Amino acid sequence: MMEDSMGKASSLKKIFGMGKGQRILVIVTFMFLPLLLLFVFTYLPFLKMFQFSFYDMKYIGKREWVGLQNYIDVFTRDDCFKALKLCFYYMAGAIVQLVIALYFATVLSFKVKGGAFFKGAMFFPSLICGIAVGFIFKFFYTRGFVLDTVLSWLGFAKESLPYWLKDTSINNFSLAATSVWKYMGQNMVLFIGAIMSVDKELYEAAMIDGANAWNKFRYIILPSIKSIVVLNLILSITGSISAFEPPYVITNGTNGTGTYFVIMDRIAHQNQKVGLASAMAIVLLGILILCTIAQKVILNVMFNDKTESYSRKALKKMRKEERLKRKEAREAARA
Amino acid sequence: MKAKKVLSAVLALATLVSMSACGTSKSSGTSGADSGSSAVPNIYDIKLGEDYKDIKADLTFLTHRTDIADTVFADYIKKFNELYPNIKITYDALTDYAEEATVRLTTDDWGDIMMIPTTVQKNELPNLFVSFGKLDDLNKVYNFNNNFAYKGNVYGIASVGNAQGIVYNKKVFEAAGVTSLPKTPDEFLDALQKIKDKTDAIPMYSNYAAGWTMGAWDAYIGGSATGDADFMNVKLPHMKNPFSKKDDMTGPYAVYYVLYEATKRGLIEDDPTTTDWEGSKGMINRGEIGCMVLGSWAIVQMQQAGDNAADIAYMPFPISVGGKQYASAGPDYCYGINKKVSTDEQIAAMLYIKWLTEKSNFAYDQGGIPIDKTQKYPDTLKAFDGIELVVDTPAPEGEETLFNDLNTASELGINSSNDKKSEILEAAMNGTKTLDQIMDEWNQKWTAAQEKYKVEIKY
Repeated sequence: MMEDSMGKASSLKKIFGMGKGQRILVIVTFMFLPLLLLFVFTYLPFLKMFQFSFYDMKYIGKREWVGLQNYIDVFTRDDCFKALKLCFYYMAGAIVQLVIALYFATVLSFKVKGGAFFKGAMFFPSLICGIAVGFIFKFFYTRGFVLDTVLSWLGFAKESLPYWLKDTSINNFSLAATSVWKYMGQNMVLFIGAIMSVDKELYEAAMIDGANAWNKFRYIILPSIKSIVVLNLILSITGSISAFEPPYVITNGTNGTGTYFVIMDRIAHQNQKVGLASAMAIVLLGILILCTIAQKVILNVMFNDKTESYSRKALKKMRKEERLKRKEAREAARA
Repeated sequence: MKAKKVLSAVLALATLVSMSACGTSKSSGTSGADSGSSAVPNIYDIKLGEDYKDIKADLTFLTHRTDIADTVFADYIKKFNELYPNIKITYDALTDYAEEATVRLTTDDWGDIMMIPTTVQKNELPNLFVSFGKLDDLNKVYNFNNNFAYKGNVYGIASVGNAQGIVYNKKVFEAAGVTSLPKTPDEFLDALQKIKDKTDAIPMYSNYAAGWTMGAWDAYIGGSATGDADFMNVKLPHMKNPFSKKDDMTGPYAVYYVLYEATKRGLIEDDPTTTDWEGSKGMINRGEIGCMVLGSWAIVQMQQAGDNAADIAYMPFPISVGGKQYASAGPDYCYGINKKVSTDEQIAAMLYIKWLTEKSNFAYDQGGIPIDKTQKYPDTLKAFDGIELVVDTPAPEGEETLFNDLNTASELGINSSNDKKSEILEAAMNGTKTLDQIMDEWNQKWTAAQEKYKVEIKY
């Protein structure tokens, strides 16, 4: 009797699955909502956009299939790819930003007076929303306002200062500088986190060997946080290709500051050429994918120094030896 | 364990059901509205304060007037509720109105009343908005009904009418020795030069950084620059090279000539890229700015921005056609009622719009031309005595969407976007292109768009 009910229970358990079935049920129910959200808000709009890119359409009204015409337009119009050139300003900015972030991260990872304050102060800009940053810098660059005043304290004559946003030879630098200001702190915090994980004994050993601060940075810190530096570099450079907020808020993309994204927004919303703008977005996606792959390949070649290949070889050898040992042990046991 | 499993299954089911429920309730709502929309009366048949006294509705009103949504409009709601206590109205003020409203319009439940964005094509009007009545009947009682009229029905009632001219500070012009108002582009530029030479004021403030202020220049290329009511909707789509220079300095070229030359001669602000729109209102009020090229809606805002309201005046755009000056006049944003809401809400919206037009004093509060034909012009437009107001005639039948089509296909964005006009100022400021080069480009784009839509060249 007892055994019987036990048996029933265990068979029920099997059906509702303490084992595999339940695991699948749990996985499905837990994954369902996130996957649904991901699909509805990321992949579905993307597929829709891909579809739009083959139509001549406005937001409201009829759509007309035009095949690849939008893509041909993207490559033949002079404003689309001209706008892409502007990303070099932001790339230069991104590199400056990483160097500064790396410098401050290295300094602040060691004991510094008021270190926590500086960390907080430098991280603060990345907490402000991009639109607000835009408005701050609009006034910051206004003739005779903040930047000009500060520079005149430093002894620059007000008349000799350039017009930060009007002068087309420097206005893109001004805009790139705002994104350096905003994102530097974020990079720095990531770098500090990585540097913290470096074994402290390495510094002591280096000190005994008579290494100076630069040597420590070059031979201990940089190799240890290589992966996070590369990650940040890739993120910053792909980010600079799709730069949007500073030119959109500060200059509306006028006066030669319209980046690819700003032009795309203008074509989609002001000129109502939704199909063309969608094609631009798809082309940009292709460019970003290419850039990311190229960066990975180049950095792999650059960072693949001999030490790593040596250690990899050593690792392989060790594993092989281990396997051999285990095999021997098993054979010995059988015997 | 089992209980948990059941619970999780129930929860998952519940989320699914609630999601699908959202979808169904929405679709049933729209279908109901579609069947009942014929029950909405014409706006001129309603008697305010007598009809529909007991109607109950909850209205959402999308507006571009972020500055007065909580003050003036709140006051209007209070007064309106004295007549119709059961209609609740909520204003939703959008900062980037033109773009955001267009995007919201693509969903069906954006609210009940909106200011119809200029991007809406005429043939889409019947699918999106409720008709206010027949065009011919409305023309008897209201001004400016043409903008959103389609096939004899009117889908948008203007909130207020604007005359197009230039806001200026009388004291600055007097101090510079400009005694009579300039009547041609070159006289105007001379006057600006005098202001620059004799006063400390900025002769003409472009407000370039705001963007839309550059788009505002398009408002003058029709009636003000040609004196021809047919120019915008009837002739322009069929014109060959409409942006070319004319010997008598009229037409679109003359308008953009003022902008280009004023910039090139240094008669605008020192650094246009960092201008501040809100600040400029106070500056013109204090006499730090000579003039700004803006529609008549701007007058009241400039007067209220400081203590010198009496100094702010308005003049027509300095172009004379055959010795006579004209001024374009037309509607500001127009009210539209959502076709996809319930009949009660549509009627309530209609009541409020009728009240706004006839009883609210909105036109006088804003210094614009009243929409109700029985009301008189406000004092601010006194300088327009003797100036003929030109109201654009609607496009002929079959060509209702032609201007919009050409406008978007050519990307010139006349009266709808700013970047092409910003480029004129940039070219003058940076010395990159001449005005003739820019106008040639525009002509080419216009011609290409005309070819795309196979438009017959008549003028």
